[in-house]
Amino acid sequence: MIEIRLHGRGGQGAVTASRLLATAAFLEDKHSQSIPMYGTERRGAPVTAFVRIGEKDKMVRSLIHEPDYVVVLDSLLRKTVNITEGLKDDGMLILNSSVPPEEIELLKPYKVATVDATGIALETLGRPITNTAILGAFVKATGEIGLESVIEAVKQQWKGTLGEINVKAVEAAYEATEVGDPKIVAEVVGEKAPAGSRADWRTFRPVVDLEKCTGCRLCWVYCPEHCIEMVDDKSVIDYAYCKGCGICVEECPVGAIEMKSESERGE
Amino acid sequence: MGHKELMVGNKAVAYGAVLSRVQVTSAYPITPQTTIVEYLADFIASGRLDAKFIEVESEMSAQVSVQGASWAGARAFTATSGPGLLYMHHPMMGCRLPIVMAVVHRSNKSMQPDHTDLMAQRDTGWIHLYCENTQEVLDTMIMSYRIAENDRVYLPVALGLDGYILSYTAEPVEIPDQDLVDSFLPPFKGRSAPHPDMTIEEWRANMSRGAGGYGTQKAWIDHHENMMAAKEVIVEVDEEFGKVFGRSYGGLYEEYNCEGAEAVIVAMGTIASTARPTIDDLREEGKDVGLVKLKTFRPFPHDEFREMAKRYNAFGVIDRNISIGSGGVVFNELRSALYNVDDKPSVLGFHTGLSGEEVTPGMVRRIAEKTLEAARGPVEPLVEWV
Ligand code: SF4
Ligand code: SF4
Repeated sequence: MIEIRLHGRGGQGAVTASRLLATAAFLEDKHSQSIPMYGTERRGAPVTAFVRIGEKDKMVRSLIHEPDYVVVLDSLLRKTVNITEGLKDDGMLILNSSVPPEEIELLKPYKVATVDATGIALETLGRPITNTAILGAFVKATGEIGLESVIEAVKQQWKGTLGEINVKAVEAAYEATEVGDPKIVAEVVGEKAPAGSRADWRTFRPVVDLEKCTGCRLCWVYCPEHCIEMVDDKSVIDYAYCKGCGICVEECPVGAIEMKSESERGE
Repeated sequence: MGHKELMVGNKAVAYGAVLSRVQVTSAYPITPQTTIVEYLADFIASGRLDAKFIEVESEMSAQVSVQGASWAGARAFTATSGPGLLYMHHPMMGCRLPIVMAVVHRSNKSMQPDHTDLMAQRDTGWIHLYCENTQEVLDTMIMSYRIAENDRVYLPVALGLDGYILSYTAEPVEIPDQDLVDSFLPPFKGRSAPHPDMTIEEWRANMSRGAGGYGTQKAWIDHHENMMAAKEVIVEVDEEFGKVFGRSYGGLYEEYNCEGAEAVIVAMGTIASTARPTIDDLREEGKDVGLVKLKTFRPFPHDEFREMAKRYNAFGVIDRNISIGSGGVVFNELRSALYNVDDKPSVLGFHTGLSGEEVTPGMVRRIAEKTLEAARGPVEPLVEWV
């Protein structure tokens, strides 16, 4: 039995990735389960999904707490989500990251595979949907499933051009994946979010140009999260609670607020 | 020879409706049942299922629509979850038409699964069948019509599957050939279907058939007798299904790895799947505890449990439900079934998995170990939350 946990954000296709992996295993005559963990589904929110591959009579119906593999579809997620939680000592991490494994900071010496899935997805699909690219990396790094099976599963999922470009994403990621040892550190510097934080909902963040802000308070009135404070008659956003809805941008009469991509902040 | 496909529990429900050649369906979308409605609509739109889909504004209307269809002689299907099921309660009560309804379990107190929704329909006079995996869902759909439409029974069936855990989990399912299903499940011949040659007397007599003698004590007696007769029919249908399709589920219940066991745990729905490998492990460790998977909750297998009581010294009943102010529904019923047996075994109760709380193999292990202990001597407390 192998157990896999996938982390992504809504819109990146973690649930589809789990489905594709289970289908690929099924095509190899193995029994499999694809389990989505359903919460509120919204673009940008962290999503977890699971896959079990093994014998039919061992298919328990709980979630997976001690995975053999952890697959991460988002390059920033590892800073806010504890991705190694419960990972078996001989387990492996498959990460969407533009840096080589040796630069990934971890507490324990897990094997690490990295691939720039976002880059590959943008190149092949034209959109940052990383689910098929990361599967190419999974195949290369783990050898648990054949490349052909994953490609077949992708073709079953999407017919025509969409299938073809996704197959390209799988193949390109398969070629580009690097496996290695991480950099062991005493502490992983993360961004600890306070209770009730909406920070991880954001794909874009509002940024206020203090020069332009006239202090009219319209953004302060309309922000549904009440996360704008007026400091010295200027709008100041508390990013721990801002959910990135962009209402403040719409409401600002002088165009003082602009939405900027979260990923532009870099890794 | 059939074929295999990876599918979620909800799709297995819809596929089961297709293979059973359902003629009329009506359902109102509610999480986590919604995708059943979508799959059915797709199957009908693509011509894969030749059925009338009655669009309604509520579960109440969905329920009465399929009852009307069944009364008129059509094989009818509906599906719902949690609050939708509660809304159907009134028309469900006393219904004696061979409808099949999938209940994708959703708690009465949350969006997440437990069995409180279907347990709240305990006394409506429907047959209740609980499923643990996607294959069983598909197979039970087909069996349900055979059971419901049997002349000795002629009652509606509610098929339960755990929301999310089963409704959205995809796994490989063997889909039998239509010909084989057709040979197992002949077309529905409704008892009350009107026909042009009917006399006015026949028509009048016919009018009350759906409720079966509404307004009389006899209606209750007949309904109960048909329900008790269903026990035999459920076992027969399961055996025949096994012969035709090569898979069977024990009918009322299944004893898993129980040979020589001193104690057994009793589980329903997906908890049974989680229990199986745990029981295997325990047996390997030399601990004599088995699993009884309760598939049929109504009619309740009283006599069968009394028989089992001769073999096992303790029952650990897992209830994914609670009757507030009393306790676990299955625990209470099982314990009362054993009141008159000699050498009463001990019966322990465990509440777990309510409002979608996860039930892990570790929890099942604790339950099984405590039950085994109870087979050898008194344990405290008798009932606990896990
Ligand atoms: S983006 Fe939305 S939540 Fe964030 S500050 Fe603007 S209005 Fe408030
Ligand atoms: S709406 Fe615009 S101008 Fe008014 S306070 Fe907010 S940022 Fe400043």
